[in-house]
Amino acid sequence: MEKTIIINIGNTIIHIEESAYELLKAYLNEVKHYFVNHADDLEIVTDIENRIAELLTEQLEEQKKQVVDAANVNFVIGQMGRVQDFDTIEDEESEPVINTNYQAQPVDKKLYRDMDERVIAGVCAGVAHYLDFDVKWIRLATLLTVLLGGTGLLVYALLWIIMPKAKSRLEKMEMKGEPANLQGFQKNLDEELQAVKERLSEANKHAQPIFAQVGIFIGEFFEWLGRFVSGTGKVIFKVIAIIIIVFGALFLLSLIVGAAAFQGFWDESIYEYFPFSIVNDGNRGVIVLSAFIVCFIPILALVLFSIRVAFSKQAINKTLSFALLIIWLAGVATVGYQAAKISSEFKQHAELTQTNDLKTLPIYVIDIDKSKFFSKEDSIAYHINGNEKNKIVVDDFEDGPFVSPNNIRIIINKSETATTRIVQKYESQGKTFPSALQNAQNISYSYISKDESLVFNPRFQLKKGSIWRNQEVYIYLEVPVGTKLIIKQDAYRYINNYGTWDCADKENDSNDSTAWIMTEDGLKCIAQLKEDAIKKKKLKQELLDLEFLKKNRSADTIYQDSVSTRIREVEQELGINIEEN
Amino acid sequence: MIAENTQTQMRKGILEYCVLSIIARGEIYASDIIAELKSAKLLVVEGTLYPLLTRLKNNGLLSYNWVESTSGPPRKYYTLTEDGKGILSQLDQTWQELAYAVGISQKGANS
Repeated sequence: MEKTIIINIGNTIIHIEESAYELLKAYLNEVKHYFVNHADDLEIVTDIENRIAELLTEQLEEQKKQVVDAANVNFVIGQMGRVQDFDTIEDEESEPVINTNYQAQPVDKKLYRDMDERVIAGVCAGVAHYLDFDVKWIRLATLLTVLLGGTGLLVYALLWIIMPKAKSRLEKMEMKGEPANLQGFQKNLDEELQAVKERLSEANKHAQPIFAQVGIFIGEFFEWLGRFVSGTGKVIFKVIAIIIIVFGALFLLSLIVGAAAFQGFWDESIYEYFPFSIVNDGNRGVIVLSAFIVCFIPILALVLFSIRVAFSKQAINKTLSFALLIIWLAGVATVGYQAAKISSEFKQHAELTQTNDLKTLPIYVIDIDKSKFFSKEDSIAYHINGNEKNKIVVDDFEDGPFVSPNNIRIIINKSETATTRIVQKYESQGKTFPSALQNAQNISYSYISKDESLVFNPRFQLKKGSIWRNQEVYIYLEVPVGTKLIIKQDAYRYINNYGTWDCADKENDSNDSTAWIMTEDGLKCIAQLKEDAIKKKKLKQELLDLEFLKKNRSADTIYQDSVSTRIREVEQELGINIEEN
Repeated sequence: MIAENTQTQMRKGILEYCVLSIIARGEIYASDIIAELKSAKLLVVEGTLYPLLTRLKNNGLLSYNWVESTSGPPRKYYTLTEDGKGILSQLDQTWQELAYAVGISQKGANS
């Protein structure tokens, strides 16, 4: 038994045993090496390869075999002759002629673009050959000058235009400064003459007018651009596609895990958070499943498309992708239906108010109780020991995307009667008015009123098992005129109808609370009122002074005019002040 | 060694002339040229012929056509160009002269 290899030689497919292949390969390398310095190396080697292919196929036919073995290859080599035998006929005499010719010529380097080692147009490689530098340093220097100011770009383009390509072997040897009297540089005299002629014509080409060179440059530039897009560009696309595949696959995995979790394998308490709290118990499975389908399938499609880009292979067949599309559409329809159903439960609005009269006191302190309210179940769940009374759990949970909008709102108004009262208004939506009312009744909210202190809970709770239907709680605090209110800083954000943040007490820097007073025109900041009063007093004083001046210096008309203007201004300001108060 | 070298030189000069003469008889495939040369005991190995044919072609003495083959890749069939024919007739003349010269040299002018 022997391993066989399929080779393509002279455009013919041939099965060949491995040992025979090694033999043939060695022979062809020998032949190629022999002709490498020949002007028509490619053509000769191709002719020889074609002939070898023919000889091998003939032998296979003759011997009724499928696979070429070492004996066949040896026969072919015998027929074609070893390279040592080639010498005798073709080029023996000319060799010394070439040697003397070339040795007489001084070898100097010429500046050519090296197309064999090029990255863009071979400029750097050519310069490296000329200066006898390692090409990587030249490239580095070029890159640096391009990045720092971009002069390198200009120089590169110029050199691209000026430097000719090294096309022929002779030019390549000149570029690298190799001596042309290479051993095995097999040429007879007329070939040599031909090469010299070529060289002359090349030299004429180099003397072409500069615009022709520019034309060549532009052509080559676009050729390079095309190669870049189809080569490097493709690579970039593939890299992007692979990144998409990796992240898409991770995302799909997390979707599966997430869906499984929502299906109830994980933690039921997730449904107490917004927006999951919207969903009715019975529909959760359906909604989770359809939402999963709606998210999963487009990402799957993206990943499959990326696979196709990256590996040029279709990952699934048409039927399957069509089926996926249908499933996705079904998912979208289900989500749409459920969304419509849920939104219908927000159609009706109901309000519920509860009024409490408070003891009428001259001063109230409004504060927010940050400590979290725990039901007995929660206390057990969070392992809060009832004995540790001194410990308080503070609810610092800010409004995030997953927090139900359950903040209360406090509105402070003037009391028409002489009593202080708190009106709690509970609002909710529902499919019908009774269900909306029921949803409103499911709100549980409490505040503590003790002597002058009013401590509000920042949030309301929904009774166990009830769902979120845009429930809202408004606290209307009605106080009679002349009542002083101390508002703690924690409460600022819950009070909507006054600019609580603007009332800064300049004398008192502690600022953890502000003092307010209820007037006929609503609640006023006491610090602000004080400031206004001081200002008013000053203006009044100025007015008196001005009037005094006016009386004393009645002769000076210009002076009179300016004083009168100022008096009008001050009066106007005072008038506004008076109106404001 | 000296004899060998001279033999090679003689063969080499004649080989090109023979190849041109064979091709002059009509369009012919490279391996048929080889077969003829072998039967004439001129050529040792095939590998020698291809560089020669390529050079003659590049010098404008030969041209070739691709012809489909039933057993393997398409083949190059060579023909003589007008230039080739001109050169060949010169070579024919030279050969006559050489044959005459050799004959005279061997047998003497007066025989």
